[in-house]
Amino acid sequence: MALETLDHSPPPFFRQGLPAALRFALLSLMAIGLMVADHRLQVVMPVRASIATLLTPLQWASLQPGRAWDALEQSVRDMQQAQDTVDEYQVRSIAQAQKLQQIEYLLQENRQLRELLALRPTVDRSAQAAQILYDTSDGYVQRLIIDKGHVAGIRSGAVVIDTSGLVGQVTRVHPLVSEVTRLTDREQSTPVMNARTGERFVAFGESASAGERLELRFVPASADMRQGDLLITSGLDGIYPPGLHVGQIVLVDRRVNSSFARVLAAPVSREQGRHLLVLQPLRDPLSQAAQSVQANLGRAP
Amino acid sequence: MIMPAGKPLLLPANPRFIALTLVLALLLQMWVNLWGQRWMPDLMQAVLAFWLVYQPRRVGLILAFVLGLLMDVHEAALLGQNALAYVVMAFVAGLLHRRVLWFPLREQPLQVAPMFVLVAVIEWTARLWHSGMWPHWSQLLAPVLQTALWPLVAALLLTPQRRPYERDDIRPL
Repeated sequence: MALETLDHSPPPFFRQGLPAALRFALLSLMAIGLMVADHRLQVVMPVRASIATLLTPLQWASLQPGRAWDALEQSVRDMQQAQDTVDEYQVRSIAQAQKLQQIEYLLQENRQLRELLALRPTVDRSAQAAQILYDTSDGYVQRLIIDKGHVAGIRSGAVVIDTSGLVGQVTRVHPLVSEVTRLTDREQSTPVMNARTGERFVAFGESASAGERLELRFVPASADMRQGDLLITSGLDGIYPPGLHVGQIVLVDRRVNSSFARVLAAPVSREQGRHLLVLQPLRDPLSQAAQSVQANLGRAP
Repeated sequence: MIMPAGKPLLLPANPRFIALTLVLALLLQMWVNLWGQRWMPDLMQAVLAFWLVYQPRRVGLILAFVLGLLMDVHEAALLGQNALAYVVMAFVAGLLHRRVLWFPLREQPLQVAPMFVLVAVIEWTARLWHSGMWPHWSQLLAPVLQTALWPLVAALLLTPQRRPYERDDIRPL
């Protein structure tokens, strides 16, 4: 290190650039402009995607201590527990063996019945396993970042599930990572069906300080809803496959002065472990919306 | 240059060291974010604020803006929210830095506390506008903790500048 300056040289006299106040005003305006653009216009996606790609190595590095710790913990975990789990799963797989054998037969039968009734065949979707990189939930947004992105063929609108049920939906796709909005995010809504009665509703995310909940809005006070009812996806929207577990009703509050009941449900997915499954949507919801808009425009004149 | 009496003459700050600490702070902040605790102090802000006050000619508004954008994308927050907060912090730090440096390290936190509170208020306001949610009470702790961390951060980041210039075989550092 050179001694001669000691960093106490006089500040530049002539070339000072823009005055600080002006620079401050410009940059603040830029930040506010970005916020408005992000909130209202949705035009800053390329900026976000490129920054996200730049950040990926840093994010990878910041995850390493946690991963190393996890690996260490896992390696010293009691062997007995592993053995217990193996035993438990063996018992469970024997119990499921009979069901599994029936499934082939049922699928066959289902296909024939659908043909008989001339129903549209259900479509198998392509699915991709992904890992949770990290969780950005902070009380305002309920989002997960997963390690598959545009390059891996993830598309915006894809449904994300885990072993216990629906987790959420892919809302932003960057080249190498994607953002999954959870069911409990305030801006997320999910079409659901009461598995017991077959009634259909829309569940909205509600992440209050009391915990993560789903709120079923516009439920008539006379609707047949009970605490403990299972909610599954209805599959009417063409994005969510039918029958995925979404949540369980924890509160039904009928009020005299309102024609709607307040119904709260707890999400079933516990997001244990790191692995998720991304189900590609049957059709691209955005491009379809664009097509229908274009069709309407074409019809208008 | 007039200096407060009794203040040690420091070596110049190495720009590479500044960059390294900022990158490390970003990494540490990402790591801290993984725990998802709302009261956690923003370490990125703490380190950035230190350099803004101590090296205003090397670390300025534009760097603050860029780092804020990085944090926005990492947190999947509204783009520009952290950037605005950091730019305001940089500007306030620019106004404060001459004053703060006259105080000894243990009295400086009181001088920078209003800056951290202001920055937190700006972030809360942006989120209130965007998502219509009030901050959780535990988030009030973050600026307090950042202020409390100031002497520690400052002492840590000043260490390389406190080394003696002349190499000495006997001295440990």
